[in-house]
Amino acid sequence: MQPSPDPVATAFPDVDALTAALDKNDYLADVGLATALFLAVRLPQPLLLEGEPGVGKTEAAKALAAVLDTPLYRLQCYEGIDSAEALYEWNHPRQLLGIRLAESRHSEIDEDELFSPKYLLRRPLLQALEHPGPRPAVLLLDEIDRADAEFEAFTLQLLAESAVTIPELGTVRAIHPPIVVLTSNRTRDLHDALTRRCIYHWIDYPDAERTAEIVRRRVPASTQRLAVDTAAGISRLRSMDLIKPPGIAEAIDWVAALTLLGLDRLDERAVEATWGSVLKNREDVDVVRARGAGWLAGATRG
Amino acid sequence: MWSGRAEPAGWPVQRVDDLRTPASPTDFVASAGPRVGDLAGGLALALLRAGIAVGPDRIGRLASALVLIPPERRIQLYWAARLALIADRAQLPVFDAVFAAIFDGRLDPADTRGEANAPPAIGSEPRTRPTPPDDRPNDGATGATEPNRPPTPTPPAGGDTDPDATQRNGILAMASAEQRLHHTSFADLSPQEAEQVSALVQHIVLSTPSRRSRRSRPASRSVGEVDIRRTVKAAQRGGGDVTTLLRRRRRRSRRRLVLLCDVSASMEPYTRVFLSLLQGAVSQAQAEAFVFSTGLTRLTRQLAIRDPGQALARAAAAAPDWAGGTRLAQSLRAFVDDYGRRGLAHGAVMVVLSDGWSLDEPDQVAQQMGRLRRLAFRIIWVNPRKAAAGFAPLVGGMAAALPFCDAFVSGHSLASLDEVAAAIGAESAQISRNSRRND
Repeated sequence: MQPSPDPVATAFPDVDALTAALDKNDYLADVGLATALFLAVRLPQPLLLEGEPGVGKTEAAKALAAVLDTPLYRLQCYEGIDSAEALYEWNHPRQLLGIRLAESRHSEIDEDELFSPKYLLRRPLLQALEHPGPRPAVLLLDEIDRADAEFEAFTLQLLAESAVTIPELGTVRAIHPPIVVLTSNRTRDLHDALTRRCIYHWIDYPDAERTAEIVRRRVPASTQRLAVDTAAGISRLRSMDLIKPPGIAEAIDWVAALTLLGLDRLDERAVEATWGSVLKNREDVDVVRARGAGWLAGATRG
Repeated sequence: MWSGRAEPAGWPVQRVDDLRTPASPTDFVASAGPRVGDLAGGLALALLRAGIAVGPDRIGRLASALVLIPPERRIQLYWAARLALIADRAQLPVFDAVFAAIFDGRLDPADTRGEANAPPAIGSEPRTRPTPPDDRPNDGATGATEPNRPPTPTPPAGGDTDPDATQRNGILAMASAEQRLHHTSFADLSPQEAEQVSALVQHIVLSTPSRRSRRSRPASRSVGEVDIRRTVKAAQRGGGDVTTLLRRRRRRSRRRLVLLCDVSASMEPYTRVFLSLLQGAVSQAQAEAFVFSTGLTRLTRQLAIRDPGQALARAAAAAPDWAGGTRLAQSLRAFVDDYGRRGLAHGAVMVVLSDGWSLDEPDQVAQQMGRLRRLAFRIIWVNPRKAAAGFAPLVGGMAAALPFCDAFVSGHSLASLDEVAAAIGAESAQISRNSRRND
């Protein structure tokens, strides 16, 4: 393929360049995720991210937007979401106000005026389509599995065409089609048509070493020792049969809490004071308590 | 490295020619050179042989990806191929095995990813895409490229349902025999009768109670809240004056129905009919269906097609452990962990079809039932053994689970399935626990 003048292509010629850029933005991506993001940007193709809660699915989209230096438009999906909340809606109260205002001035307000972009409330999908560039925006469809199947189909069609028709205004066509990242928690099977269009990536839990590295980046005030101890504690917790094994988010919360309390190492006392930052379930706390706070802090290991 | 071994005989070069995806221009293959195309096509073929369907669009995507990421190292090729070709986490073990077999012969790529459960060698993976055992002309492209495959296992209690016509005749013929069949336990039916009953069971209407949805619909005056959007729209038509306030009310929608069916050995006499119940619920009431024995398998997708015979055959192929032992607590745990607490069981009507015989400790069963209880709207336990004379729920697992159930019904015969339907449709808790010990 000929080298295109695309600014994204010149900025990120290969996966390593993207990894380095993500790294600069304090997002540490392993080779799998970096490749996935690279392909999402360069093919371009929607990226479907799945993984346990707290492995950084949403963060990945945010980091990608930061790296590209473009806005991130996030649509949190839920049951019953419709196009008025996802795409656009007319600002009816404001239109009414406009009519009243015109009346009080004894002037007329005509239809075209009333349905001008001024009165349009832009929702994330439209915002992402209208993004003027020069680089495409990042559109995050969070927890797409929570939306109805009809909404999924509607979104899919919109993304395929990168255009939307507003009856009163005409067709809005994206100059720079957004880079789409979808996340799913698998509460229902996504439609084949959607998965077929997407690059699929399952994000695994990072190992202890990488966890420590990520924590250090995200909580700059923390000490190296605390980060390493905590990461080891997290992997100990993951080895147990917990209902909600802690993820990266919990590791960060935990270190942030410990740092805020002025603790620079993980010992029994520190663990006792901060159960709630890392275990979010009563049964889990009971199970780990039985094992002992000292064990979690790594005391027996020496 | 990989390039030396990457070209077994029979590489389907011609497949690459008809790549047409939005992402790859049609002149792409020529510019990419035949090597990348061959590589993509060959890998896809190997995956297809191992049971992962890979469409031409995905092959084209891999070819495009390999242009962007020249596969100079193994890891680059691995990730490009995995991202482009795989659509689901469940396919990963098979993919890893196939990739390893092609590109390094023996090295297991899962090791490098720190995956604890190493994938099995190619061919030994039982959970591949099941092929419906039909001879009809296939419509999809995947069917056309489907490789030969050993015959699919049939469901335990004789899953070879005849085509529609026979089935309809069966139902007609049943009109006379229905009276008797109505109260006969599923366990006592002849295979032929079981088939007839299954056909009827499929059409039992299961309808869950409703709940308030987030969506709204127009409402008459004086109920509901003012719908500003519609009011203003109407006012614009009338020259800007608000003459009437239009109102809206939250729509009501059905609660989700989730069925967990025990398919262990002790439940075998009932499995055939219960599966039909599941299939009817999935295809007609958008229910979610799972079966469990030693492990939990989600069957919603397999059962969602309309043809019952095909659906059951696909279900049989998808669940690996028919008629095994029962790990009740473990299966419940797997359900809550992987599906329930992520949203599937929230506010749902849960139906567990099991005799409660389990290898797990009763207190473990109680613990998992407690977790499920906190998520679900209602839990209905269907135990076909309840109808037996002198039955008391003394089996460890059953006794432990019972305190968490809102309804406890037998569902052992066609007549008693009405009770199941009633329990599913009930608005509030505690309708028929310990209602009838005998029929």
